[in-house]
Amino acid sequence: MSLIKEKFNQISPSEFFYSNRDLAGFSNPTRSLYTAVREFVENALDACDQKGILPDVHLIIKAVDPEKSDPKHYILTVKDNGPGIDPEHIPLAFGTVLYGSKFGLKQARGMFGLGATMAILYGQITTNKPVTVKSSVDGQTQDEFELLLDIQKNKPVIVKHNTKEVSKKGLSVSICLEGDYSKAGNKIRDYVYETSLITPYASITFDDPKGEKFSHPRFVKDIPPPPTIIRPHPHGIDVERIRRMIVESQFEIPNIDDAMIEKVRKDLGLSVKNLSFTVIMEKAKKKWKTLSRQVRVVIALMSFLKMDFEKLNKIKIEDIDMPNKKLFYWDFGDSQSKSVDMDSESQYFKQLTNTVQGEPMTTFLTKRFQRIGPTTASKFAEFAGFKPEKRMGTMTNQELVNLSDSLQKFEDFLAPDPSCLAPLGEEPLEKGIKKFFNPDFAAVVQRPASAYSGFPFIVEMGIAYGGDIKTGGPHVYRYANRIPLLYDEGSDVVLKVVNDTDWGRYKIKGDPPFIIVSHICSTRIPYKTAGKENVADRPEIERELRLGLQYLSRKLAAYMSKRGQADMAKKRANLYAKYIPLIATFATELAGKKKEPNFKKILEIENVDESKKTVVEENEVENK
Amino acid sequence: MKTNKEKSKIKNRSKKADEKQKNVLEMLKSHGAKIYEDLDNGQFPKFSIPSRSVSNIVYDKKLRQYILGSNSAVRSSRNSSQLRSFTQLMWLAFFANRLTQEKKSSTLRDVYYSSQAFAIEFEDQSESDNIIVDLEAVTSKPREDFHIFPEERSSIFGDLNIEYTIPGYEGKTMNLSNHPDGYSIGPSLTTAELVDTSAEIVIAIEKGGLFTRFVEEQVDKKFKSIIINTGGQAPRSTRTLLKRLHEEMKLPVIVLTDGDVYGEHIAMVIKSGSANAAHLRELTVPDAKWVGVWATDIEKYKLPTIPMTESDIKRCYDLQKDPRYEDGIWKKELDVFLRLKRKAELEAFSKYGLTNITEKYLPQKLELAKSL
Repeated sequence: MSLIKEKFNQISPSEFFYSNRDLAGFSNPTRSLYTAVREFVENALDACDQKGILPDVHLIIKAVDPEKSDPKHYILTVKDNGPGIDPEHIPLAFGTVLYGSKFGLKQARGMFGLGATMAILYGQITTNKPVTVKSSVDGQTQDEFELLLDIQKNKPVIVKHNTKEVSKKGLSVSICLEGDYSKAGNKIRDYVYETSLITPYASITFDDPKGEKFSHPRFVKDIPPPPTIIRPHPHGIDVERIRRMIVESQFEIPNIDDAMIEKVRKDLGLSVKNLSFTVIMEKAKKKWKTLSRQVRVVIALMSFLKMDFEKLNKIKIEDIDMPNKKLFYWDFGDSQSKSVDMDSESQYFKQLTNTVQGEPMTTFLTKRFQRIGPTTASKFAEFAGFKPEKRMGTMTNQELVNLSDSLQKFEDFLAPDPSCLAPLGEEPLEKGIKKFFNPDFAAVVQRPASAYSGFPFIVEMGIAYGGDIKTGGPHVYRYANRIPLLYDEGSDVVLKVVNDTDWGRYKIKGDPPFIIVSHICSTRIPYKTAGKENVADRPEIERELRLGLQYLSRKLAAYMSKRGQADMAKKRANLYAKYIPLIATFATELAGKKKEPNFKKILEIENVDESKKTVVEENEVENK
Repeated sequence: MKTNKEKSKIKNRSKKADEKQKNVLEMLKSHGAKIYEDLDNGQFPKFSIPSRSVSNIVYDKKLRQYILGSNSAVRSSRNSSQLRSFTQLMWLAFFANRLTQEKKSSTLRDVYYSSQAFAIEFEDQSESDNIIVDLEAVTSKPREDFHIFPEERSSIFGDLNIEYTIPGYEGKTMNLSNHPDGYSIGPSLTTAELVDTSAEIVIAIEKGGLFTRFVEEQVDKKFKSIIINTGGQAPRSTRTLLKRLHEEMKLPVIVLTDGDVYGEHIAMVIKSGSANAAHLRELTVPDAKWVGVWATDIEKYKLPTIPMTESDIKRCYDLQKDPRYEDGIWKKELDVFLRLKRKAELEAFSKYGLTNITEKYLPQKLELAKSL
């Protein structure tokens, strides 16, 4: 028997992504070229969005040797007019995996800024060429870097760095990578086209390797308001999250050392001479409102210990037993543990309670969650079976679980604050749809914000029929945080909702020319895979999609039935125009007249009202 | 040289034919005028059509035939779903008017094809046949009055003088025993005037084979009869002719069929009409008599038989629900068929020799008919 000793190694993040690059969408030359385009364009748009700059994005793909056949080396360049990146951050931002500015809690296209580095890494391993980054933060000087990644160390290697004068702000990133444009071209063009539909305030141009230029100028002049960072919504929050929040709400008993005493003395404005307990307390009372929490706690402790600073130096606080109102401390002088009783009527008692046991539940809820006021907080406490003044720090494990369950079940919380989200808005979306498809009918809806697992999200949808839209619909345009999703549509939740719809019920039959645009905005989109191409069917999201689609479908049905009526009326008019003259001709000969009757009058009666007909429907004639 | 009396007779006859034609034309004209007026007044023309649905077909015991009930439907040119069939019907009236005026005849198939010249679309012949029945229903006149005839022909043989009324043959006469194959009952014969006959009875027979045998056996002479081959279920023109022979020439009509349930029903249709033509009153010979082959004859004459098929049996049960089969020989024979569950052809008599049917069976039946 041989013993195989297992080896445990730690690998660097770039090493990990190097071996698992298909996770991030770099599985083959076709997909990689498309993913690289996406990552750079999205970073450019994000950078502009966050600074409120109307984006001008220029995408260029050029073959290194146009004569060679695909897959071959391409140079991919994306330029923007955004804020640029400080030269000191450039090597790390582009030469390190898992380094970025996107780890906050608000909506952005990418989550970690990981994809761009992956593209650079992919470029490097397929062509062994460095990435070129040009950045100007002030619009006057531009830093140009050529960087390689040290994959094993997850560190940038600066190949070249220089600066020069320029007249424009912005960033330009250029990589050389192996790609297959003949296969990826369609998707890339679709991507650029669909991106400009959902980003109508951006100008995007694309120079493709065959020399074609695709230009999508902006047609909306305003950027939708940028998202803000917000407190969590109580729905869907989990126990672990609450536990962390409670810890945040509690405070350590400050260590009363020389430094602490000096701080208290300074904050109270005490001179060295007057250190008596009474003087300190009086001074504290006067200045209470301006004191910091730590200082307040020290004062509160002193009030029960009845000690001045000198005595205070000789003891150490051991325990504060709020329920029994006892304060335990170690006296260095006597070398023994002592205790004093605390007066629960004292205002300082409350101060200590807060510190030791955390905030009362109502305070905790109103302060730390979004959109909970005192009334809702008390109602909730009653619903969950807690006293409103219950101290959060005294929660047992079981109580925490109850609290977490109740937070999800309580239905009177307001919908999440959508200010952390950046939906496009109904007006720009409708403008986009009208410009892109020139439809006969279009409708859009923005659903109110909802949440899944504590993450707020908003669903926006548009529907359009006829005009320039090709038949064979519904054609579904899926977006998540303003990113068009082009791959894996089969397993997407939007497709599921669309396919579940019985279009016949909405008077849409046959091979209809119609499109559906769906945009899901969230601080976190529940993608099914790391490739970020399809959204998982979370019930909350599915419900919002369904409601949105139903609303729009009803509008479309109303339009279709109007259109149907108009078609019918036209068809009927045509029937009359065809048959009445024939009847007139036959009647003329039958009646033995020379001149035809004046039947024009009835042909002029428009929209013959079917409801007014007085005739009994003819029975079906049966023949034996 | 024709005598004066004969001349005036001919004159009378052609007058009668003219009158009939005039009637038809007048009626079409009045329908046309009504529609013309509506159009001229800015109104959508419409007319009423008796409903031909099964629920509206009832057996009239007094008339001894099927008739349409009082239900009728309005067909309006205002109703877009009826506009097409309204126009088709108008065209047909217009076409029938021309046929009648010009004394030209047409077949059902002809009508279907002629429509194409007028930009009238019929999906198939059955659609145009249906419209023809509509016209019959509206006017209560058989299509033969509008010079529209079926393709299928039955035939007639016997001493009967007729006088053609069709253009080019007006006044021309013909004796229907001149040709041993019989005369085809087509438009010219159906519309001809019946001049005179020495016959005392009309024998309608279901099968062409037996018809030829009867001619060969000189049944016409032996029994002073006119023989008509119905060729299975008698076409409408044949039924019209039977009715005219009965009414105009006062000849009794007897029907000889195969010994099965279909044969029995062929006789019944001649006698009292079909549900299909319930809108017409001129096709039935209520006094016609079915003389055989009866189910009881199968036993009586010990005829060779074959077993009835399932559909034969089903047909028996269907007919039991028909009010016309409620009593008399109709009920009795049906019951026997059902009991025997066997059937026999007219040819079954050949078992006793080729002439047995005419020499033995027919005389007995003719005798019997008198008591029916």
